[in-house]
This record gives sequence, structure tokens and C-alpha cells, in this order.
Amino acid sequence: MSDAPVLVVGAGPAGLGAALALAQAGVPVVLTEQRDAIGGAIHRQPASPQVPKVLRPARHARSFAMLAAGLAAAGGRIDLRTSTVFLGLDGADNALIDDRRRQRVEALSPAGIILATGAVEKVHPFPGWELPGVMTAGGAQVLLKETGRAPDGPVLVAGSGPLLLAVAAQLAAAGNPPVAVLERGRPWRRPTALAAMLASPANVAEGVGYAARLLRHGVPYVTGAAVTAVRTQGDDLDVMVRHGAAERTYRVRHLLVHDGLRAGASTGITETRDGPVPVLLAGDGREILGADAAVADGRRAAAEMLALLGRGAASAGDEQTLGAARRFQAALARLCEAPPPSPPPETLVCRCEGLRVADLDHLRPDASMRELRLVGRFGMGPCQGRFCGASVAALRPDADPSLKASAVPRWPVRPVSLASLAGFGDPAARTNPRIHQDTEDR
Amino acid sequence: MTGTFFWQGRRVPFGEGQTLAAALLAAGLRDLGGPDGRPARIFCGIGACQACAVTVEGLGVVEACLTPAVDGMRLGPAMTGDDHV
Amino acid sequence: MHSRSSPHVVVVGAGIVGAAAAFFLEAAGARVTLVEAEAPAAGATGASDGAVSVASKRPGPMMALALEARAFYRELAARGVLEGLFHPRSTFLLARGDEEASLLERHGADLAAAGERVVARSAVDLRRLLPGLGASVTAGIEVPDDGHAIGYEITARFLARSRPALRRATPVRALKLRGDRVAGVVTAQGEIAADRVIVAAGIGSAVLIGLGDVLVPRKGQMAVTDRAQPSGPAIGGHLMAATYLAAKRGISLDKPHIGLVIDPLVTGQFLIGGSREENRSDRRTDAATIAAILREALDFYPPLAGRRVIRTFAGIRTACRDGLPIVGPHPAVDGLVVATGFEGDGICLGPLMGACAARLALGEAPATDVSVLSPRRFAVREVAQ
Ligand SMILES: Cc1cc2nc3c(=O)[nH]c(=O)nc-3n(C[C@H](O)[C@H](O)[C@H](O)COP(=O)(O)OP(=O)(O)OC[C@H]3O[C@@H](n4cnc5c(N)ncnc54)[C@H](O)[C@@H]3O)c2cc1C
Ligand SMILES: Cc1cc2nc3c(=O)[nH]c(=O)nc-3n(C[C@H](O)[C@H](O)[C@H](O)COP(=O)(O)OP(=O)(O)OC[C@H]3O[C@@H](n4cnc5c(N)ncnc54)[C@H](O)[C@@H]3O)c2cc1C
Ligand code: FES
Repeated sequence: MSDAPVLVVGAGPAGLGAALALAQAGVPVVLTEQRDAIGGAIHRQPASPQVPKVLRPARHARSFAMLAAGLAAAGGRIDLRTSTVFLGLDGADNALIDDRRRQRVEALSPAGIILATGAVEKVHPFPGWELPGVMTAGGAQVLLKETGRAPDGPVLVAGSGPLLLAVAAQLAAAGNPPVAVLERGRPWRRPTALAAMLASPANVAEGVGYAARLLRHGVPYVTGAAVTAVRTQGDDLDVMVRHGAAERTYRVRHLLVHDGLRAGASTGITETRDGPVPVLLAGDGREILGADAAVADGRRAAAEMLALLGRGAASAGDEQTLGAARRFQAALARLCEAPPPSPPPETLVCRCEGLRVADLDHLRPDASMRELRLVGRFGMGPCQGRFCGASVAALRPDADPSLKASAVPRWPVRPVSLASLAGFGDPAARTNPRIHQDTEDR
Repeated sequence: MTGTFFWQGRRVPFGEGQTLAAALLAAGLRDLGGPDGRPARIFCGIGACQACAVTVEGLGVVEACLTPAVDGMRLGPAMTGDDHV
Repeated sequence: MHSRSSPHVVVVGAGIVGAAAAFFLEAAGARVTLVEAEAPAAGATGASDGAVSVASKRPGPMMALALEARAFYRELAARGVLEGLFHPRSTFLLARGDEEASLLERHGADLAAAGERVVARSAVDLRRLLPGLGASVTAGIEVPDDGHAIGYEITARFLARSRPALRRATPVRALKLRGDRVAGVVTAQGEIAADRVIVAAGIGSAVLIGLGDVLVPRKGQMAVTDRAQPSGPAIGGHLMAATYLAAKRGISLDKPHIGLVIDPLVTGQFLIGGSREENRSDRRTDAATIAAILREALDFYPPLAGRRVIRTFAGIRTACRDGLPIVGPHPAVDGLVVATGFEGDGICLGPLMGACAARLALGEAPATDVSVLSPRRFAVREVAQ
């Protein structure tokens, strides 16, 4: 039995849950997090103690407090590396990490890897989504958590899904209620989905709390309304909205968009159980189950990893939590289900490469996903298709997905400084990455 | 650390523990695009979209949303290189 | 269009060579089915650099063929077929130290003898032409008439301009023979009858054509950076280390060898390569090799330190044991034409070789004499059938 550590990537609830469970079983853990602090998307920590806290349910604060306390108690068994970006597994089965503080790329030889890198928000493209002032709702939310400050000026929140409600309420609580929340779906017309959600009272209570907050601030929650285009207007944005047969324009400073969460896009790496280094996914990066279930899913992945490594037996203790979360998320998805307006030809699809819907239309109608990517250049920029990949798939539903870009796992999964990477394995610059104690973590 | 960094020579104050992204937005600097007109701005906030890439002197190109602000840092659009920050 | 008597030609492999062959076959009136194991440009063509370079060639037939192949690119660009896809630019062959400088001197003389324009460049010249160039570069030669083309773009263009019947995800398992003549191909999804067959399947050709182990895979790893500028090449030419020539001139390749090229792409990005890893046909990249390539790159061009690597990839070159491609009618099977073994030169040679293979498949003499590349130079083993 080797004592090589298990690498856990991402110090959100899933990664923390996994790391704590592994440490409890006596397995050493290296926990890497790209940010300079733990927490993940849901528990993004205020930049300093002076920052006002953002509106959130007490159970989230409790859950985070428990995870943070667990981490402190685990002491040396969890080697936490913040400001360290996981780059992927290379052809020599090295787990590559990019230590941004020391500007070094290093390799770990872990016994196994648990990727808990979270979800990526879906954003359906419309003309102008690339403009400054348009952000994802989740992105605005994590910045709000970090600074305690809402974006200045009029804000419109639009798209689909429950996060719209949460973000709008948090903006209101932070002193800048949005001019409106536009939900593309029509949740009131999905009574069975609504009913199914009652099985999760904590989530329902959270939603009701946000709705009450919006009501108090007089923020309209408009259903069946979708953004069709955005234009800059001086420092402001003109947001064109279709609501049934009616059109209207909102003039705002910021447009926050969000069309749900997507699993799997964060690294593009899939699970492998039989390779030399087993790789498991955990949390929203594996399946969108929400913040509460993410901790349980991290534990579940840890138990499976222990079993794979012959260091313990898989426990099924968390299956019930995960099953309930799955049912709740399915109901949520049905609740807000509504197809986005189809984007006109001038719509930017791939921001990195500057490619539009019209560029896609020029490619062979029978092209496979591989050709759309390789020849069309969709998804070949720095974001590696995290946002446009899904848009392309939606616009070309018949493209053969089995002919994907590449059969081999790719790295880096994130852009990496050429100079840092060049230093990899350079005897002239070698340090021992395993015994690195003087972390400057906060 | 609290302090000031420079976006294309313009002073940008930041609060303790803030990322470049948070401070840039707070200063009303939303457009991080270079001279080319290619859109660049803080978008996803979690390192995924790469639309917030900026050039920081001494660090190279980094995501504004992942990079803690440091007093005296000099930065500019991603594509212009060190001499234009 | 096609007359009833026009032959049906199956082309195996939709890389640059197979796509070019399909294009020229159609132009000559043949009916074409292009059978591809995965998708167009799934092989080396989609995982390579695109130097359309005479500068890098060994003296002898390869240099002569490259001169014709590059001229053919210019012609196809002018004719509209490859309009906008051929990007003229200089190649700079760079030396670090006297030994390499004298290798370049010799190579420059060989190029000049073949009729290529060559300009000797001092270190001072080079720094003026290529601001930022590394201090270790001591001398170089500039070859001004070279160019660049992206393999998958060329492939896609040939396919867009000819529209052969394209069968994706259809690996050919064997050839179907009738006596000494080819009668079609056998695929996982059934047989496809043909009057003629061109095998242009890169490394996948080896098992089909029965020439024994004359083909070896030679893996190459490369890295792609983000944009240094919004568009247009960020430096004034393609940089190639003198040691790259050593690799091309067939120096011992037992251990992974790095022949550095830095290619400024029209997108403003850099493509940096590459390794030559004998007998490796997996397409994974590893940090140790990529880092070694990047250290070389930084030595030649330090401003790369400010860039980010956004992607790494590996492609498999199909090398022939005697260092020459294989193009010509099969020695034992009538109606079968082989076009493979282009190692690190198939983007440059691809359109021309595809055109030659097309003519040969139609029983005509190609415009370029490719007899030196004929597979008749090998003994026939067993043709897969
Ligand atoms: C922007 C955003 C906002 C959200 N807001 C809410 C909300 O308000 N309410 C709610 O219920 N749910 C919200 N969600 C969903 C919520 O994130 C999850 O349910 C929960 O946080 C999932 O936990 P996780 O551990 O799986 O992922 P996350 O919490 O996302 O944690 C993933 C961690 O991995 C790190 N990471 C990612 N890639 C790398 C890498 N390559 N190398 C190193 N580290 C990496 C990230 O920095 C992050 O800390 C949000 C999701 C997103 C994307
Ligand atoms: C790293 C690297 C850098 C390079 N740089 C350059 C350069 O700068 N300049 C240059 O000129 N050249 C360069 N090359 C070489 C060039 O890429 C190749 O020589 C060229 O692409 C070969 O084209 P091809 O059509 O012969 O083969 P391939 O592109 O390999 O195409 C063969 C096709 O056949 C298919 N196939 C295989 N077996 C079967 C089967 N049984 N049935 C059906 N289909 C099959 C494959 O899927 C593939 O699509 C480089 C190569 C590499 C790897
Ligand atoms: S805002 Fe998306 S990577 Fe920084």
C-alpha cells in the first residue's frame, strides 16, 4: 500500500468534503485551489473581515464553518495549496499544477485524483452578450461576496433558473435592487414541478426568502421574458427584451445573465477508474446537485477512491442525500424549462476567436463536432470551449459528437504561463513540491 | 493589503484581499479590451471564460478574477505586452 | 459532369494528401469516394505545423520536390482554389555558435545550388529584422520565398471545392482484390467497390499496402500560445533552429529529439515545436518534453516569456525508412496507388503529391516526376485483403 497522497482539486464544498473524508481515513491529501482562499462558488469568502456579509441562508454559513473547522483540525494530513491551478494529467501520468505564487509548474504523482472544480454557468448567446457590462449572474454574485459591494447603477438580471432570484435578492440586500428579474421560463405554469420541490423544504424556504426580499424592494419578477439583443449606449446598455408578443428596452449599466449550470465543462476531463491514476469527479463538476449535496458528493467520491485504492470500503451513506438532491434539481430544471430565442447570424458565439453564428453557417452542413472545432475554430481559444462548446452543439444538433476534437486527454486545461511551464523539470530550478510547508495561505 | 495598482497608467485603489477584477469593476473599468476591439471584460468570475485576461508586469497574462491585487502592480490589456501596461 | 464510363476511385484517408487527390480526381472527371477512419484531418494533417518550406529540406529530391510543391501552392492560391490560405513569409534558419553557423553555410549553398533565394544574415541584421531575438543566436540565413499553410484548412478547402462522397468514421480494414487488380475496399460497414484505389492513410497505410515495416511512426509534440497581437504574424518570419536541419538530415534519433521551430501564425499566436520521437504513435503530450521545447524557444526568442500556452498536441509523422515519401503505383496490385510517408513535409508536399497520385490513379503521367518515390523500391510482402 503506497502512501502517495490523493490529489483533490477545488476547495469548494465538494473538494473540502472529499479532502476531509480522505484525511479522516488516514490518507494524505494535497488540496489545490486556484483562488487564494477556500470556499468555492457558494462560499466565496469576503476579501477582508470589514466586508459586509452577503445575504445567504444560515445553513450555508454553518456548513462552511464546519468544513473550515474540519480543515483546520486535519492539520498536516491535508496539504492545502491555494493560488494553484490544476492543469491536467499529462502523457506521463503527471498531475500538473501551476503554482501562481511561485510561478512554477510542478508535477505530483498522486495515487488518485478527485476533481471538484465546480460547475460553469450556461449562457445562451444573443447579439451583444460579449459587451463590457454584461456579466454572468454567478460571476457578479461571487464578486459581490468578495467585496460586499453591488455593481453601481441600474442592473438587470435575466436568463433562467433559481440563481437569478438569489442574485437579485443579494443585490437588493446589498443596496442596489435590480430593475427587474427576467425569467425566460414560466414556472407558475409547471405545478407538478413546483409540487415536487416541496420535498426539499430548506431550498423552498431559501427561495421564498429571496422572493420576499424582492417583493419588499418592489423588484418585478417577469416570467416568459427573454433578452434578444444588447447594445451599448454611452456608458449604459440598451437591453432589448421580448415578452410574449411585446418588445421593450431596458436602459441599464449592467446586465447579469445566467441560463443554468453545466457540469463537466470546467476541466473537460472524464472519470477513469482503471488507469494508473484513477480520476473521479465530485460535486457540481460531476452532476448539478447543488451546494448542500456537493459536500455529500465529495464524501461519496472519497469513499469510492478509498475503495479503488484498496484503502477502505465504499460507503453508501450519502446516497439518500444525493438522490433527494437529484430529484429536486430535476424538478427545478422542469420548472424553468424554456428554449432560448435562436440567435441571429451576427451573434458572437466564440468570444475568444471572434466567431459568429454566420461563421458556423458557412461550415459544411455534415461537419462533425471535430471539424466544427478544428476547421471552424470554435472553442480553440483560451477558454477552450467552456462557453461556446454548448452553443455550437445547440446550433448544430446533428453534428456527430462521437467525432470529438481529440481522443486523447488534453492539457493544459487552463492557459498557463509559457515561462512557468518552461521551468518544469528544469534541474536549474528544482524544488521539492511535496514538502512545501511555508504556505502563505490566509 | 490595501493599496493602488495601475491600469494603463491609471490609478486603481483596492481593498484588502481583493482581486484585480473586483477592484477594476469598483473603479468603473469594465472594458479590458485592447486596441483591437476584441471584447474583454470580467464575465464569469471563476477563471473559466478567460475574458478577463490582463497583462501584469512581471507576471505575464493572468485572469483578473483569480489574481489578488498587489500594491504598485502595473497592468493593461492582455494582448499588448509588458511595454504597454 | 461524370460520364457513365468515368472511373470510380476510392481514396483511403482524408488528410491533406487524400483530400487533394480527391479534388484533382474530380477535376479530371472521376467519381470519388473518400473513406476516412475518423474525420477529415484527423491524422497528422490536423496536428502539425504548416511550414511550406524549401529552406528545411535535405538537398536532393526532397529539396527539388519542395520547390515544385511550394510553387504549386502559389499557383493554386492564384487560381482561387487555395485563395487566402497560403501565407508567404520568410524562414530564418538560426545558428547558435560556429559549428551550427557552418552547417547553415553549407545548407545555404545547397539551397542556392537548387535555385532558391538565400540571404546570409549577421547577428546584427537578425536583431533588426527580428526584434527580441535571443542573445545566443549568432548568425542565420533568411529564405524569403517560403510560406505557411494550415493543414486542416487546406483539407477543408479541397473538400469544399470538390464535394466527393465523404464517408466519415469508416476505417478501411483491407483492400478487395480480384486477381492482381484492386476491386475496392473492405470497411467495418461493408465493402465499397472501386475501379481504382488510392491509399493516402498516413501511418494507417502500413497495414494496407503490404510493404513490410518500411513505415515508422514518429511522434511530434507542439505547443500553441495565446495571441501576442490581434492578428497577423507577430514576428517577421518562421524561426527554425539549425539543429532542426540536423534532425532532418537524419541524425540518430534514438532518444526524443527536439528541432525547434517557432511559427508566428496569422492569428497573432505562436506555434512552437517540436519533438521527433521514434516509434511512438500515441498522441499524448508530456510536460517534460513540452517544457524542453519551450526552454529552447525562450532561448531563441525570449519575449515568448510573456505568452501563455493554451494548448499542446501531438501528431504522428509517417516516416519511411529510407527518408523519402512513397508515391506511385503499387508494385504488385494493379489500380492501386500509394501516397504516404511524408514525415514532416506533408503539408508542404501534400497538394502536389495528391495531384500526382490522382494522375497516376487515372493511368496518366503526373506533371512532376515522382518516379524516385515509387513503392517499387521495396519488396512486396502481403497486401491486406
Ligand atoms: C458562479 C457561480 C455561482 C453560484 N452561486 C450559487 C448560489 O448562490 N447558490 C447555490 O445554491 N448555488 C450556487 N452555485 C452552484 C454552487 O456552486 C454549487 O452548488 C456548489 O458550490 C458546488 O460546489 P462544488 O464544490 O462542486 O464547486 P465549487 O463551489 O464551484 O468549487 C469549485 C472550486 O474549484 C476551484 N477550481 C476550479 N477549477 C480549478 C482548477 N483548474 N484548479 C484549481 N482549482 C480549481 C474553484 O476556484 C472553486 O473554488 C453557483 C455556481 C457558480 C458557478
Ligand atoms: C508535429 C508535426 C509537425 C509537422 N510540421 C510540418 C510542417 O511544418 N510542414 C510540413 O510540410 N509538414 C509538417 N508535418 C507533416 C505533415 O503533417 C504530414 O506529413 C501530413 O499531414 C501527412 O498528410 P497525409 O494526408 O499523408 O496523412 P494524415 O494527415 O495522417 O492523413 C491520413 C488519414 O487517413 C486516415 N486513416 C488512417 N488509416 C485509415 C484506414 N485504415 N481507413 C480509413 N482512413 C484511415 C486517418 O484518420 C487520417 O485522417 C508535421 C507533422 C507533425 C506531426
Ligand atoms: S471573468 Fe471569466 S475567467 Fe475571469
